[in-house]
Amino acid sequence: MSRLSVVHFLRANAVVFSSVVQIGDSQEIRLSARALAVQRQLEYVDSREFPLTFPIFTKPIPLPPADDESVYHYTLHDCPLIAVHSVRVIGISSTSVVHIGSTKTVEANSRVKHIRQLERREQHASSRRSD
Amino acid sequence: MNMTIVNHHLSVGHIAIGGVASASLVLIGDSETIQLASAFDTPPESLIIGPFPEKQNNKKNEEKR
Repeated sequence: MSRLSVVHFLRANAVVFSSVVQIGDSQEIRLSARALAVQRQLEYVDSREFPLTFPIFTKPIPLPPADDESVYHYTLHDCPLIAVHSVRVIGISSTSVVHIGSTKTVEANSRVKHIRQLERREQHASSRRSD
Repeated sequence: MNMTIVNHHLSVGHIAIGGVASASLVLIGDSETIQLASAFDTPPESLIIGPFPEKQNNKKNEEKR
């Protein structure tokens, strides 16, 4: 048996990029996020420029080793209530979840690749002067 | 191994969170298993210092026009 979650007030400003605010119990949560972040000194956009073939998007992420010895655990809910007066979240992004209630299994993985491109030094110096 | 958990009264006043991102979880409740993994890559070779090809700049200007 799981406990009852009671939240009197929840305020989330932005829920973006496949994120979820779940109120109520759930059984299984699987989250997967992939992001390629390109930052440039000069404004230039070409969505076909980088194919998503970087190893970070395909490499298996090692999981923590499970102990061979099995754990028999017994949980006694002396007070079957989780009470929270208020929750304030500014942003929920990139396949994340804010969950009020119980769940069984959660599996999530996120892969983020950052690329930065700067101007060449001499170009950089001239652009600075013009500023 | 045997383990006994006794959950007594749990009451929280206010939770303030700036951001939850990249396949993360905020859980107010119970769970059996949670497995979260994250990989973030910014190797030195992903820092490109110039040049912005002339062709690219021309293309950009064309698009602007």
